[in-house]
Amino acid sequence: MLGRLSLLLHIASRHILVRRRQTGVAVGGVAVGVGFFLAVSALMVGSQSDFVKQLIDVAPHIIISDELRSPTPQPALREFAGGAVDIHGYRVRNEVRGLKDWQRILASANAIPGAIGSPSLSGAVTLRLGGRDEPLGIVGVEPGIEAKVSNIADKLRYGSLDNLEKVQGGIIIGEELGQRLGRGMGDIVPATSSNGTTKSLRIVGLVKKGNSQLGSSTGYMLLREAQSLLGRPFIINRIGVKLADPYDAERVAGTLEARYGYKAQSWQERSADFLSLLLTRNVIMYTVVSAILLVASFGIYTAVSNSVADKRRDIAILRSMGFSEGDLQLVFVLEGMALALVGVLVGWMLGWVLMNILGGLEFHIGGDVQHIPLDRSPRQYLIAAGASLASGVFASWLPARKASRVDPVDILRGAV
Amino acid sequence: MSDPALVARHLRRELEGDPPAVLVADADLAVQPGKFTAIVGPSGCGKSSLLYLLGLIDRPTGGQLLFDGRDLAQASGDERARIRLEHFGFVFQFHFLLPEFTAFENVMLPLRRLGRLSLREAEARANQLLGDVGLAEKGWKLPEKLSGGERQRVAIARALANNPRLVLGDEPTGNLDSVNSARVVELFRDLAHQQGRAVVCVTHDMGIADLADIRVSMLDGRVVEVREQAPRT
Ligand SMILES: Nc1ncnc2c1ncn2[C@@H]1O[C@H](COP(=O)(O)OP(=O)(O)OP(=O)(O)O)[C@@H](O)[C@H]1O
Ligand SMILES: [Mg+2]
Repeated sequence: MLGRLSLLLHIASRHILVRRRQTGVAVGGVAVGVGFFLAVSALMVGSQSDFVKQLIDVAPHIIISDELRSPTPQPALREFAGGAVDIHGYRVRNEVRGLKDWQRILASANAIPGAIGSPSLSGAVTLRLGGRDEPLGIVGVEPGIEAKVSNIADKLRYGSLDNLEKVQGGIIIGEELGQRLGRGMGDIVPATSSNGTTKSLRIVGLVKKGNSQLGSSTGYMLLREAQSLLGRPFIINRIGVKLADPYDAERVAGTLEARYGYKAQSWQERSADFLSLLLTRNVIMYTVVSAILLVASFGIYTAVSNSVADKRRDIAILRSMGFSEGDLQLVFVLEGMALALVGVLVGWMLGWVLMNILGGLEFHIGGDVQHIPLDRSPRQYLIAAGASLASGVFASWLPARKASRVDPVDILRGAV
Repeated sequence: MSDPALVARHLRRELEGDPPAVLVADADLAVQPGKFTAIVGPSGCGKSSLLYLLGLIDRPTGGQLLFDGRDLAQASGDERARIRLEHFGFVFQFHFLLPEFTAFENVMLPLRRLGRLSLREAEARANQLLGDVGLAEKGWKLPEKLSGGERQRVAIARALANNPRLVLGDEPTGNLDSVNSARVVELFRDLAHQQGRAVVCVTHDMGIADLADIRVSMLDGRVVEVREQAPRT
């Protein structure tokens, strides 16, 4: 069996080696296809995973908030379920009383292996400085837990999350807001909540600029202090959950929402628009790649077809010697595969070179030197190889079938 | 006389058409081992057609072809290929070597395909076969670097690679000068007389036909006479 394969491969490779020009064209086609596929997909996948990573990390994977997706059914509807009762134009009273039973929700979030839930209370206050009112959303958190759930700690230019516990009335605000207010680390800002409570807060941390999510209008406080400032003791209205596997978020969010009724929003839902954009990008990429591979397979088809046409005499000889139809078919499929394989190897090198060129480019953005995010995982190499080999087999299949159908009698009789 | 190596019964080959062209009409023939059989007849009478049928290269449209007591007329393509590989060897008028392979590699082809011998044994056998036809020194040459007679001898060595019971030739000397031709005929006679193979040869050359043990005459697709001839030297 192995001997047969190596013999047929031997014959196939001789055929290929004799036809240098056609072989070169076919191999070149595959190589260019594979090389550019690698470069393009490294770019696309690299930028995509970079982007998705940012989408995932910018906030907890799941946010459970005290909103309801749809209002609780009206009592009348509940009473006459299935009856001819319909109610129009009623006003829904927003249940903004915080998450009821939040300890239980938190406990069940924490019960998921590898998951951590962080309770928080958000609300709005006004910072009053020199006659100017500056609205600020504040989020009260447990610093120890929040640090594990969000990456806020990494985004701090000055100070740390722990400072919230150390300093009475500590607050972390955005760098931009600080500049606008003319306040820096250790300065005091007076904050007034909507129920009239006023408190002096001390800036214990500044979040780096250029962070859209934690932009200029959000401040972090200790949960306890936020509750008292907002006049809502013991209440929380948000639980952020971080999962071991971010891609499980959608499912987990669904379960939590079904169980407790509160809106549980996964990062996928939060960024559905971006994700559909990515989908389009992927469709475009794979279309382009398929087109490249299709062109490459034309090269293989032509090479193998011509080889079959050229070698009709040899086919007849081999048949008369006792090679079977299957043997002859395999010879020419192997030719296609060999062309594809050599093309893949050359294409890998080409792709590697292209990636290094792309990876070497430097961009200066916001004072930092940045490189294009590239995905250099072996997966791309394997996909390219698999697709090329498959198209090589596919492209050589028809001519190879034709080869196996050659009637030796016609050729032996007519041979000159 | 021993059992025939191959028996054709009412073997028929027609080409589709209206009326169908009859290439071979109801041929009855027993091919004997140890005998040199010559098929003769005017050009276009169906000699090659009959040989291709006997050699399992072409399929008859009617009749039987018995080999080892089995009718191979309707056997599967793979099975017929297998029997060609193991038991049949062909030599054609035009040497029909694979041009990209050296003489030695050409002889190796059927040996490797059958795979009965180890690579070493196969190489030894190929060298020996080339030596038998007087080409021990030229195995490394590509066919295009060999003379016509040398090529034909390589083709014969290749036909004998798997030690076939039947050797079939379609005007194997048709393209050779008289010296080379005589050498090939001598080889073929040895294959039959010394090695006990059944040798069937289509020929135009009456000199060769006279040297045969059995002479099969054809006319218009028919076998008109099968005559045993007295052995000559
Ligand atoms: N494909 C075909 N279509 C029509 N007629 C054919 C075809 N092949 C062969 N023939 C005819 O069949 C007959 C037998 O051909 P075959 O080659 O067997 O003759 P032959 O005896 O070997 O002749 P030669 O001595 O010239 O080689 C010839 O008359 C030939 O013209
Ligand atoms: Mg003929």
